[in-house]
Amino acid sequence: MSVKYVPVQWNTNKWIYDAVVILAAGLFLWLFIAVAPGFLDHERPITPLMNRARAFGMCAFLMLTAILCIGPLARLDPRFLPLLYNRRHFGVLTSLVALAHAGLILDWYYGFTAPRIAKLEGVLIANQSYAQLLGFPFELFGLFALTVLLILAATSHDFWLKFLTPPVWKRLHFLIYAAYAAVVAHIALGALQDQTHPALAALTLVAATLVAGLHGWAAIRERAPARAGQTTDLMPIGPADTIADGRARVIALASGERVAVFRDKDAFSAISNACAHQNGPLGEGRIIDGCVTCPWHGFQYRVTDGCSPAPFTEKVPTYRLELRGKELFLDPRPNPPGTALDPVRLGQM
Amino acid sequence: MAEKPFFVGYLSVPPGLRAFLAVSALCLVALFAFVGWTVATTQADPMPGGFSGRQTLTGVLSVDPYPWVHVTTGSDAIPAGRPVLLSAPGKSGVAPRAAGLDGQVVEISGGGLRRGDLDLVQVRGGARGLSPVEGASAPALRHQDLGRWRLTGEICDGKCYAGAMSPGTGLAHRACANLCLIGGVPPVFVSTKPVDGEAFLLLANADGLAVTEQLLDHVALRVELEGRIERRGNLLVFRAAPETLRVLP
Ligand code: HEM
Ligand code: FES
Repeated sequence: MSVKYVPVQWNTNKWIYDAVVILAAGLFLWLFIAVAPGFLDHERPITPLMNRARAFGMCAFLMLTAILCIGPLARLDPRFLPLLYNRRHFGVLTSLVALAHAGLILDWYYGFTAPRIAKLEGVLIANQSYAQLLGFPFELFGLFALTVLLILAATSHDFWLKFLTPPVWKRLHFLIYAAYAAVVAHIALGALQDQTHPALAALTLVAATLVAGLHGWAAIRERAPARAGQTTDLMPIGPADTIADGRARVIALASGERVAVFRDKDAFSAISNACAHQNGPLGEGRIIDGCVTCPWHGFQYRVTDGCSPAPFTEKVPTYRLELRGKELFLDPRPNPPGTALDPVRLGQM
Repeated sequence: MAEKPFFVGYLSVPPGLRAFLAVSALCLVALFAFVGWTVATTQADPMPGGFSGRQTLTGVLSVDPYPWVHVTTGSDAIPAGRPVLLSAPGKSGVAPRAAGLDGQVVEISGGGLRRGDLDLVQVRGGARGLSPVEGASAPALRHQDLGRWRLTGEICDGKCYAGAMSPGTGLAHRACANLCLIGGVPPVFVSTKPVDGEAFLLLANADGLAVTEQLLDHVALRVELEGRIERRGNLLVFRAAPETLRVLP
C-alpha cells in the first residue's frame, strides 16, 4: 500500500524470508557443485561447467515448485500465509538462478561455433526435429520458461500491478503455470532421456504431482457454496451473532463475486472479498485498528467505506446489509468502490 | 474456538506462529539439501574418453568423406598405421583447409582426443596445424570392401564422442552435437556390436561423400542403418544410405 514506489520496501520479515530462501538455494548449489562430485565414482568426471549448469537448472526447478506450492498451502492452512507474503522475492531469485543455468548451458553447448552462430540463434537452429518426441528440441521449453520468468520478475513490482491494472497483471502472472509445465517437459524430453538412475525421474514426477495435487485439493475445498439464484433480491446470510468480532463471513454471489461481511464489535459491514492489491481474500483477514487487514500483504481498508486510510488510495466496493431480528441480509448489488455506508448494529432495532 | 494467530507482514510475527514458521523454514532447507544431493550423486556416468595430449603426426590425408589421416610416423599414443579423424578447434571441421591435399603426405599437430579405438586430433590454426610434407611420396592405402551391413547404434559427432565434452553423447547433448556436425566435425556411427573388431565407423553417404545434412534429425537416437562398409587403411567407413535409416524404440 504505497503512494510512492521504492524498489523494495524492506522489513524484518522480508529479510528473514530472503535469508531462508538464499540459505536453501545456497546449500543446494554448494552440495551439488562443491561436494557431490567427489562422491561420484565415474571413470571420468562430468565437465565441471556442465555439473554447475545442471545444479542451477535443478535448483531453479525446485524453487519454482516450492513457490507454486505456497499458494494452495496457504489456502488449505492459513498458517502458511506468511510464506505468501514475500513470495515475490522468491520468484525474482528463482529467475536469476534459472538465468544462470541458461547462461552456463549457452556458453558450453552453444559456444565455440565456427563460423560463429549466435548462441540464442543456435538454440533455434541446432535441432529442428519438431516432429519427433525423442530428440525434440527440449531447449525451446526452457527458453519459453526463462522468458516468462524474466517477464514476471521484471513486472513483479507493485508499480506494474497498478500500471497494467490488477486483472491484466494477474492474467499475465498466470503464465507461471505454463512456464512450470514447460520446465517439466524440458526435463522429461532432455536430461531425463540420458539418465540411468531413476532419481531424477522420480523427483520430477513427485514435484509436478505435488503442484497439481495441491492446487486441485485447494480448489475442491473452496468450491463455492450453493449460490443464491437471484441477483437483486436481499439474500439471507445467517444469524449475525455467529460471526466472531473482528472477523468475516464470506458469501459467494450468483455473479461469482465474493463478499466479506465483517463484524466490528456489534457493528456489521460488508465489502468485496477481493483486495485491490492482488485479489487477496479480505474475508480471511482481520479488523486491526478499525481497518480490514488483508492476509496476503497487509493492505488495509476501512470497513465502513472500503477505502484505505490516508495517505493510501486503494478502494474496494461496499455492499448494503440489513438486519431483521438477528438475521443478516445482503443486497448483492455492489456499490462503487469507496462508497460509505452506515454499519448495521445488533440491538439497534 | 481458540483465536488463531494472524500474520501481518510488516508487523512482528505473532508468537503462536513462530515455531510453525521456523519448522517450515527448516523443512525447506532440508528439502533443498536432499534434492540437491540426490540429483548430483545420481548423474549418469559420462563414460570414458578425453584428451590424449598434444600430438604431432605425419600421415596420408584423405578428404572424403571427412578429412582424416592414415598415420605413417606416429607418436607413443598414436602409432603408425592408426587412423586419425581431424577437426579444427571449437565446433568446426578442417575440410576447407584440407581441400586440395587429398592423398598427400601431411604433418598435423594439435590436441588429441581418444575414446577406445577412436582418435581425433584438433589441429591448430594455420600451417602449424596442417601442412603438406613436400617431396614425400604417399603409400597407397589398402581398400577392402566388407560388404553390405545393417547396423544398430548411435550417430555422434566424432569430437564430443571422443571426449571433448563430458558427457559428449545423448539426447541432452544433441543440440551441441548438431552444432559440431553443422560446423564440419566428422560424424561417427557407434555400433552396438563391433564390426570387424571396430566399435565406431566414420559415416559417409552411399557414394562415400559427406552426409551431415541428412543425419541431423537422427543424431543421438538409437537407429538402424544399412549400407556398405569399407576398410580404408585401418579405418572403417560406413557408406550408409540415409533412406534406410530407422529410429528404434
Ligand atoms: C534458454 C533457456 C534454457 C536452455 C537453453 C536450457 C538447456 C538445457 C539443457 C541443454 C539441459 C541438459 C543438460 C544436460 O544434462 O546435459 C538442461 C537441463 C535442465 N534444465 Fe534447462 N535450459 C533452459 C532453461 C531452463 C529453465 C528456465 C529451467 C527451470 C526453471 C531449466 C531447468 C532445467 C533442469 C531442471 C534440467 C535438468 C538438470 C539435470 O540434468 O539434472 N532450464 N537445460
Ligand atoms: S492482495 Fe496484497 S495485500 Fe491484499
